[in-house]
Amino acid sequence: MKELKRYFKYWLLMSRNAFISTVTQRYGMLFFFFGKIIRFFIFVVAILFVLKGTKTIAGYDTNQIIFFFLTFNLIDVVSQFLFREVYRFRPLVVSGGFDLTLVKPINALFRSLMGGADILDMLTIPPLIIAIIIIGQNFNPSFVSSLYYFFLLLNGLLISTAFHIAVLGLGIITMEIDHTVMIYRDLMSLGRFPIDIYKQPLQGIITYLIPVGIMITIPAKAYMGLLSWPVFVGSLMFGIGFFLVALRFWSFALKKYSSASS
Amino acid sequence: MNKYLSIFKTSFSQEFAYKLNFVMWRLRNVLQIFVLFFFWSTIFSDPSRMVFGYDRGKILTYVFGVMIVKAVVFSARTVDIAGDIAKGDLANYLLKPISYFKYWLTRDLSSKALNLIFAVGETLILFFILKPPFYLQTNPWLILAFILSLVLAILIFFYFLLLCNMVAFWAPEMGWAVQFLLVIIIGEFLSGSFIPLDIFPLGVQKVFYALPFPYLIFFPLQVYLGKISLAFTLSGLLISIAWVLILGFFANFIWRRGLRRFAAEGR
Repeated sequence: MKELKRYFKYWLLMSRNAFISTVTQRYGMLFFFFGKIIRFFIFVVAILFVLKGTKTIAGYDTNQIIFFFLTFNLIDVVSQFLFREVYRFRPLVVSGGFDLTLVKPINALFRSLMGGADILDMLTIPPLIIAIIIIGQNFNPSFVSSLYYFFLLLNGLLISTAFHIAVLGLGIITMEIDHTVMIYRDLMSLGRFPIDIYKQPLQGIITYLIPVGIMITIPAKAYMGLLSWPVFVGSLMFGIGFFLVALRFWSFALKKYSSASS
Repeated sequence: MNKYLSIFKTSFSQEFAYKLNFVMWRLRNVLQIFVLFFFWSTIFSDPSRMVFGYDRGKILTYVFGVMIVKAVVFSARTVDIAGDIAKGDLANYLLKPISYFKYWLTRDLSSKALNLIFAVGETLILFFILKPPFYLQTNPWLILAFILSLVLAILIFFYFLLLCNMVAFWAPEMGWAVQFLLVIIIGEFLSGSFIPLDIFPLGVQKVFYALPFPYLIFFPLQVYLGKISLAFTLSGLLISIAWVLILGFFANFIWRRGLRRFAAEGR
């Protein structure tokens, strides 16, 4: 518990520094912030217009499709808020500056993963949660469904954490981060819509191999009361397993770090 | 002419210097097409269904068309100009006996050529995997108008990107932020990269058509699909030409003003 408190203090300190660094370019920050907001509304408007013509997509109505989209956004935005430092990892590996992270009395994975929270993303989280609550009310969820949704969202974030750890590990081995993390985000974007719209074998791949379905579609379905408990348990076990494999991969990658250029 | 041919060749080779980067970039494009393809494929799962004036063949041709046209229009090296201005590296180019605009247009064309080769290859592979119905345009006049609209789209995008990058003359750290908002967010959506713009009400479409963005992706694809009348095709081409002239004029104007301010800080 004491260790957890210590790391929370570190996180607050690093996040504050990242925030100060962001506001030094306040006009740029505003452009990025409004860009993110506009992108979100553009997608919502586009989905609404498409559904005006089609009524349903893969059997889901407007509220359900919007709910899938909001759930995708919540997991995506929270991941970006927490793990923005991953996007800054490559120069450290290429320059050998990662040595300085390794010699510090703080877990190198923690520093590389959560060393700079993104304030812009944090600002968009509360409105997203409010939107989820408002749209979610249309499904009259039971207490159990809400509980399933909450735990499956945490499970989605655990899988997202695992992905980011894997990207860091790959970064050490291949020195390539930028596109790998963007490919992860492109794969995530397959979850903007329920994975039911994808055909096999793609649907199988994004359910089990790259578990976008478990991260986004399954939690949203749980809230709508469309999920059975074995799927709930199976999803949680899958998430934990995925996270443990990512941690093993990080340990493996760390041994390959050559400290080049330092 | 020879020096620009050399720039084209050098720039083409440079793209191969970071092979993994390039492959990853193309993979991202394919993934984006997957989302669009399955999204529209699900909506048009009934082959006889007509929505927004599209049937299954036309909408899926639109999706694959976006991949090809995007590779031609949106791939550009001009995005690096803001960095050159901010770091003072622009000074190196000003000393060389070349036109700065032509230099970047040549580099853009080299990037477009490479991306087009890969996009055609990817389209063929996806075509054999997904086996979508495909609408083949056979009218030679429409094909000619399509090619002309593509050339104009390349020029519109080039000048627009130049203008966004030249913000760095006045605000060196803003180059990327402006491109993010105006090109990646607003430009991609209003160009019809995500959804065809004719699903929106007529009034909204009229507003879109007054902007340069629909002439980048949506208009060329409408011409290819033969979804618009001859009069609309001709007026669209004329509007595209007007946008090239307007943006070109402002790019030159801002360039001259920017150079007066440029102090090569950082060099």
